[in-house]
Amino acid sequence: MKEVYNPPTLATKALGMSYGPRRVIHGLDVELPTGKVTAIVGPNGCGKSTLLAGLARLHKPDDGTVLLDGADIQNLPSRKLATQLALLPQEAVAPEGLTVTELIRFGRQPHQGWLRQWSAEDQRVVQHALGAAGLKNLAERPIDALSGGQRQRAWIAMTIAQQTPLLLLDEPTSALDLGHQIEVFELVRHLACDHGRTVVMVLHDLASACRYADHIIAMCDGQIVDQGAPEDVVTPALVRKLYQVECTLLTDPDTGSPLLANVRRAAPEPA
Amino acid sequence: MKALTLTRRVDTRTLIVSLLTALVAVSVVSLLIGAGSVSPSRVVAMLLGADDADARFVVWELRAPRTLIGLAVGMALGVSGALLQAVTRNPLAEPGLLGVSAGAAFAVALALVLGASAATLRIPVAQMGALAGCLCVLGVARWRGVGNDPVRLVLAGAAFSALLGALTSLILFFDQRSADEIRFWVIGSLAGRRLDDLLAVLPTIVVSGVLIALLARPLAALALGERMASGLGHHPRLIRALIILCVALLVGAATAIAGPIAFVGLVVPFVARAFVGPDIRRTLWVSLPTGPLIVLVADIVSRVVVAPSELPLGVLTALFGAPVLVAVVRARRLPML
Amino acid sequence: MLKQDNASLAPKKAMFNGAMPAASPLRAPDGYWRLGDRDGTGLSLLIEKRSVGVNMLLAVALLLASVAYLSLGTTALDPRAVIQALAGQGDMMTVFMVQELRLPRLVAGCLTGGAFALAGILMQTLARNRLATPGIIGIDNGATAFAVASVVGMGVSLAPSAMALTGAVTAAVLTFGLATGSGTQGYRFIIAGIGVGAVFGAVTQLMLARVGIDTANAAYPWTVGSLNARSGGSVQLLGIGLAVGFVLAFGLARSLTILRFSEATARGLGVSVNARRFQILMLSVVLTALAVAVAGPVGMVGLIGPEIARALSTPRHVPVLAATLSGALVMVLADLLGRTMMAPIELPVGIITAIVGGPWLLWILMRPQRSRP
Repeated sequence: MKEVYNPPTLATKALGMSYGPRRVIHGLDVELPTGKVTAIVGPNGCGKSTLLAGLARLHKPDDGTVLLDGADIQNLPSRKLATQLALLPQEAVAPEGLTVTELIRFGRQPHQGWLRQWSAEDQRVVQHALGAAGLKNLAERPIDALSGGQRQRAWIAMTIAQQTPLLLLDEPTSALDLGHQIEVFELVRHLACDHGRTVVMVLHDLASACRYADHIIAMCDGQIVDQGAPEDVVTPALVRKLYQVECTLLTDPDTGSPLLANVRRAAPEPA
Repeated sequence: MKALTLTRRVDTRTLIVSLLTALVAVSVVSLLIGAGSVSPSRVVAMLLGADDADARFVVWELRAPRTLIGLAVGMALGVSGALLQAVTRNPLAEPGLLGVSAGAAFAVALALVLGASAATLRIPVAQMGALAGCLCVLGVARWRGVGNDPVRLVLAGAAFSALLGALTSLILFFDQRSADEIRFWVIGSLAGRRLDDLLAVLPTIVVSGVLIALLARPLAALALGERMASGLGHHPRLIRALIILCVALLVGAATAIAGPIAFVGLVVPFVARAFVGPDIRRTLWVSLPTGPLIVLVADIVSRVVVAPSELPLGVLTALFGAPVLVAVVRARRLPML
Repeated sequence: MLKQDNASLAPKKAMFNGAMPAASPLRAPDGYWRLGDRDGTGLSLLIEKRSVGVNMLLAVALLLASVAYLSLGTTALDPRAVIQALAGQGDMMTVFMVQELRLPRLVAGCLTGGAFALAGILMQTLARNRLATPGIIGIDNGATAFAVASVVGMGVSLAPSAMALTGAVTAAVLTFGLATGSGTQGYRFIIAGIGVGAVFGAVTQLMLARVGIDTANAAYPWTVGSLNARSGGSVQLLGIGLAVGFVLAFGLARSLTILRFSEATARGLGVSVNARRFQILMLSVVLTALAVAVAGPVGMVGLIGPEIARALSTPRHVPVLAATLSGALVMVLADLLGRTMMAPIELPVGIITAIVGGPWLLWILMRPQRSRP
């Protein structure tokens, strides 16, 4: 038996958001493709993390709405939202000494209540999450004792246990080395491809976005510059616009996704 | 730091001259006003030659020594605050907050219990206590990088002060004699202090003044970091040790005379930096008149506000010092000194 | 080209096992007992084995400490005689001493210690910082200042509890108001609290300086924290407050557990963070105020109690009950020490807890740091 989700749609309508006193996003309309991996990319301070925070209802928008299946998420009860949409924030910190299984069990919280703290379903889902994230052998290890990649997989496993059709990740691979990055990205693809989840990640690295995302949203100055499949969207012109660098674009002979080569500083534009 | 700096930096010399003028004015006011029944007009008349024994006694025996002590205590606390902040590179460092004053107070209480009489031994004991307090705080600061976080250092200082405060109360509790002897002193105040005390601490104040004058330039270099200072041919460890010694001498002297007074050492450098920027030499020059100015103003207010009784000076300095503390931590980024 | 079709991108099946495991009989997670029906669809409660043991241990320790508290003092009594006297038997003098003198003080000590510690662990969890106890962030001082005002300024017309509550709320509003922007997380918020506490401490001194020496002496135990100056009414109010507060804290336990994670994680798991935080804050402030109205600022108990509870418990949950019991235990032992150590001089309990708690606080500050506090 394999769990397959039929995710609700997630979209924004004329979304405007601020980060502190600074207006970061204005009038943003975006619809996230369901059952696909979407990567939001762009230079530092372009508003990509703010957008993700808005999608997850971490920050209240100044104006506009975030729509989940057409309904404003501001009106959803917290717990209801937590059964539809799971979030992995950038610097997730667990209380000292918690083990992997204990962490994953917290993912069941939205499905439980004061008088119904542990059911057969909970037990099954936690076991599933352990297996899905490849953590069966580490189940009783304290989180503090894991490697960076293992720890990040444990956090993702917690969101798996939440059984949500939508999963939002804020730079899930920052501060991980290459091997651990691949671990996490392959897990993310597995969650989308094999279970039909909608996954949205904010990514720093355009190359990883090209390789692991089905859909790329490129942002600059709080606006969407372009969006679509990596092969269509990522062009030397876009790279120059986002990061002010020149590059040569190749195609990965194995996967067909775009590859950035010979990246160099762009010549200053004529005034 | 930008938010705390006045948009146009005032010329240091003009500033010091105006501060000195204000200081003279405040000193005169300090002679004129007080809790006693002698009104300002009587004082003026007496100074102009009227024969008024009461006024003469109140002014020359009570208010003048008090004003002089206020000047000395203010200078010592203000300058030692600036020095301590420079040495720990921490804008929150303050002798009162970091337990230096509490160390001095505790040492005096301990000495009294062990049989010393309050009059003879207070000053050296207070200075030793202040030194021990300084060393403890710096030990904590060096320990596992506590000192790298200005706020954690202050917390450690607050914990240390609270502990010493409790121990001091404990001593006072079980030794009634010393309790009576120093109860009025444990609450910082300028009231009823004797000029003899001031004369007794004068040598140490002068010694530390000379030391500070010699050390100001290398201390400014230390603000660039230890390696940089070594590269410029200074000896950071020696400089730091000597500065700590000066701080201990000054705080010990001030505490021995007036009792523990918190927040002056925080407010004075804060105000000075707002006027002249972060350079320690200018900060020191400006702190020199600002310290006594603040202490004297606070002292005058403490005489007037609940007349005929008086308010302990420490209460007033806490009342205006604590908001400054909050202002410093509220600043978006703590300036690294 | 669709990524799903691409062979090289297909995850290694051996590693990520996507299949749902078959239903297996329901077992409680390791370290728990489960009460409830077979598959846990109806009532299903989890009870952590460790916390049952810890709470029983603390309860027994509190009981023993209480017997010692009732027996020791200026006149030492035989513990058996004390237990008889509790039941109203034995000689008149012993019954009077136990029931009228020592028992009310013991009850006040248990209640204040429990309330301070419960308030402490609530505030610590709220701020995700072990140092953020009401005593350290100035709430004790605020409550004390207002309570002293009611004693010295306005006669005895206003109940100390009500005034302490007003003061505690004022201090909390100030601290949290001043800390906005820097957030409730991290140390700056605590420094703002220390500043607020210093102002209220100065205000207390100011009021004591204005009144006659007798009134000032009457109010003095208040400023250091003592079980000497308690009034019957405020103890009763505290009893009710602690009982209600404890039930509410127990109801919040699941949210508390999750609030230990970052705010984003807690929101992601469906906790209404702002509402819960407000409830926890109010609960903590009210408990602190009621306890201050009885014993003055013995805030260090709010630091030590939770520390003991956490050291004994697992990190799976926030040990609300264990913290309350530890707080009561610490308070009873500290006051016992204060009464007997230098008898006949009675040391205020606040001084004892400050001497024990100060080094503890320093140790917390100096212990090796994780990436975040």
